[in-house]
Amino acid sequence: MATLTTDVLVIGGGATGAGVAWDAALRGLDVVLVDRGDLAEGTSGRFHGLLHSGGRYAVKDPRAAEECIAENRILRRVAADGIEDTGGFFVTTPWDDPAYADRFAAGCAATGVDCEEIDRAVALKEEPRLNPDVSRVFRVPDASIDVWKTVWALARGAQQRGARVLPYHAAVAIHRDGDRVTGARLRGSRSGEELDVEAGVTVNASGAWAHFIAEMAGIEGVRVLPGRGIMIAMNHRLVNTCVNRCQMPTDGDIIVPIRTVCVIGTTDVHTDDPDDHTVIQSEVDAMLDDGEKLVPGFRQARALRVWTGVRPLFEDAKADSTETRDVTRAHALLDHEQRDGVQGFVTITGGKLTTFRLMAEETVDAVCRHLGEQRACTTSTEPLPGSEEHATYHLGERLERKEQHLSDHQLICECEMVPRWKLEQTMRRRATTNLDDIRRLLRLGMGPCQGGFCIYRATGILHGLDGLTAEQADETLRRFLQERWKGVWPVLYGDQLRQARLDDWIFQGVLGVEHLPA
Amino acid sequence: MRGELHYDAVVIGAGTAGLVAGARLAEAGARVCVLAKGVGSTHLAPGTIDVLGHAPERVSSPGGALEEFAAAHPDHPYAALGAEIVNDSLQWFLERVADGPLAGYRYVGSLERNHVLPTAIGALRPSALVPETMAAGDAQSGSDRVCVVGSRSLRDFHPALCAANLSHAGIAARAVDIEIEVDRADENALGLARRFDDPDWRKGFAARLALKLQADERVGLPAVLGARDPHGVLADLERRLGRRVFEIPTLPPSVPGMRLFEILRSALRRAGGRLVLGAEVVGHDRSSSRVNAVATHAGGRDVHYAAPWFVLAAGGFASGAIELDSSWATHERVLGLPLRGVPDQTEPRFVAEYLAEQPMSRVGVAVDAELRAEGVENVLVAGAALPGAVSWREGSGEGIALASGSHAAKLVLAQAGARTGAAA
Repeated sequence: MATLTTDVLVIGGGATGAGVAWDAALRGLDVVLVDRGDLAEGTSGRFHGLLHSGGRYAVKDPRAAEECIAENRILRRVAADGIEDTGGFFVTTPWDDPAYADRFAAGCAATGVDCEEIDRAVALKEEPRLNPDVSRVFRVPDASIDVWKTVWALARGAQQRGARVLPYHAAVAIHRDGDRVTGARLRGSRSGEELDVEAGVTVNASGAWAHFIAEMAGIEGVRVLPGRGIMIAMNHRLVNTCVNRCQMPTDGDIIVPIRTVCVIGTTDVHTDDPDDHTVIQSEVDAMLDDGEKLVPGFRQARALRVWTGVRPLFEDAKADSTETRDVTRAHALLDHEQRDGVQGFVTITGGKLTTFRLMAEETVDAVCRHLGEQRACTTSTEPLPGSEEHATYHLGERLERKEQHLSDHQLICECEMVPRWKLEQTMRRRATTNLDDIRRLLRLGMGPCQGGFCIYRATGILHGLDGLTAEQADETLRRFLQERWKGVWPVLYGDQLRQARLDDWIFQGVLGVEHLPA
Repeated sequence: MRGELHYDAVVIGAGTAGLVAGARLAEAGARVCVLAKGVGSTHLAPGTIDVLGHAPERVSSPGGALEEFAAAHPDHPYAALGAEIVNDSLQWFLERVADGPLAGYRYVGSLERNHVLPTAIGALRPSALVPETMAAGDAQSGSDRVCVVGSRSLRDFHPALCAANLSHAGIAARAVDIEIEVDRADENALGLARRFDDPDWRKGFAARLALKLQADERVGLPAVLGARDPHGVLADLERRLGRRVFEIPTLPPSVPGMRLFEILRSALRRAGGRLVLGAEVVGHDRSSSRVNAVATHAGGRDVHYAAPWFVLAAGGFASGAIELDSSWATHERVLGLPLRGVPDQTEPRFVAEYLAEQPMSRVGVAVDAELRAEGVENVLVAGAALPGAVSWREGSGEGIALASGSHAAKLVLAQAGARTGAAA
């Protein structure tokens, strides 16, 4: 069995884990980053895409608001490439408590969240589809963030500094030597092979799965209560600004424009299993109703797909008093040396995407303490690969690049404007036979036709490029169709059902995929 | 009424079912108008006439299987139609192809035996009548190996994947990639078909391809062998290459489907029928048990089409004629007719496994045993608007469309005749 030796092993390739890897690599530490699946396939990749201004927490959780606005300003510089400066509105709809607006403004002022009340007419001019019955509108610096792009930039940045990034490698055992965690055994889900990692410090950055990893390390009392929320992507940008309900945080209170779609979210239902992605019909219905309150006519737009994500809500069962049980959305850094007398092991969980950099900074500070050497964090000033110019993403970017080559570059996915050369380059770079991995990087098949046209093309290209067998290619296609369907059918109505029926005709009627021999 | 036109029959929908109904009515002397929002499924489907392909195992003889299939599926359109009208409509169709606008182009086959044709991904599709341009692809025909030919220039066809799957199914196949110069990188099947219509271009193509072929191979190309003269293109290629050549249907737009549309449109027009595309039916005038007129809004004005008979052949969910709204209610949007086959509100509309049969699949306009819309005495339903079939899985779409379009025409003619007779 192969053995890797490293300073830091990071278990969990979400934004937090990738952020830890980037931070540690910048501090000159040797890093191995692993995930049981693809990077950002868990909670990070399953949210609405909001980079918080802090406005959402200005009243309820001032500390979170302060963290958010500080991180928002930092990430706009260092992770600009994945961020679109959409701006945000907090709007008081007829269903919201009108008294909240003043508390909101005061909360923003107290926490330093930039907030300006604007005239309704100005807001409606900027966002013509906004409910005209809103009574007050505040402008805040919300933004949208492409998590897959950002997490891969973190991983690439770390790799450029020597880090080894191993997606599809699950930790199957945590090695202990007395009071010290010394690394982990990994199993490659693609290769089936196992390997050992010997690490100075092991970071448990597995979020909603943190208790599983902690238990493997023999640590007790780490409890994560996964909170499941649903999100629905609509097929175009009904709004170009993040629009929030101006009220205490609740279900269905935000629409985030991201890339070519907009996403409404979310709900919060406790679940015992972080891998439970059940979509409940009543939640879908409630979400569509909520959309209607912000953007009248919302139900007439096409819903592309629905997904669920689990927030890791941390509860420390070792906390002193059961009356003040610390269930919080704030992040939790557990230094197991202090907490449990176990060296070489740190757990980071809870928190929110917007504050991933801060979480990583605190985590690597703890890692450095374990290693006995202080090294300064530079992630607040060092730009990620692709963000060196500090230029934020703008929606027309792909079209602008594509426009000069309209007649000489074959487009494989028209909805998301993915050219063939880009697809082939990504397939080679990722060395994967899973089109979902490609989808997360290129948004292949994520537009209105949900892969109807591009997936046969992409399968054919992948088959030719990698010399796949017929079995592998067919399996790739079927797996993508099944994965896609999972998010499609619970929100299938209206014109999107027409689209799905056209796709049925293509895949079943014309291609006959259900009768493939392999 | 201003802008009101009177016909003997108005057909709604210009897919296979609507065009067949319209043509057969017109041929019998009826003044008929076919109204449609746009072209129908012909431009998406492979252009073959599938009668019954899977039940659910692959069917070798659709004619032989039809009776048993209908008996086992009493709510299926075939149960109401019966084998005779299927056979009759296929014969009618073959004659219209022979007399059609594409010189020499014909369909081959019968109800006796399904062809087994390769798809663009290399699966096998059973089909009763197929264009002559596809016949040599039949997996059951000949011992010559298959050479699947494509081009990197055509993103909608992937010969290596097709050949790999065919080989896996026991059909000796290999793939060849040939360079084709295109004007646009996103050229589709129709663009290529226009090139194949050009004899000079074709000559050069054949010369380059011939160098890559081996003895005892037939050649499978994407379905692009000419939009105007497929018969001539096929004959020319077979002569130049000295072997059998066939088309493999691929992603829309479907060139063979467009030919099918042209054949049916021509049949309608030659019989004196009228086709109005871009004429979505946006309203109707109905008394208790009859539809009196339908209204279209096109070119900035409303036009009313009054007739004693209407044939609803506007399709199902795919065309938008039937809708499931965001409150999970279903509607027939053309005439507001009741539907059948809609799962109960407490039942799942769809199931989690994509390739399983979806509960919503069999929804259609509620009809009586004569395929008359329930509660309306002068509306007949045809094609994908009918309930009870999952045509893309069964491989039954064109069989149902031809037979139900013919059936609707016959019923209208019989009833109209009876009425005229009674009046006389």
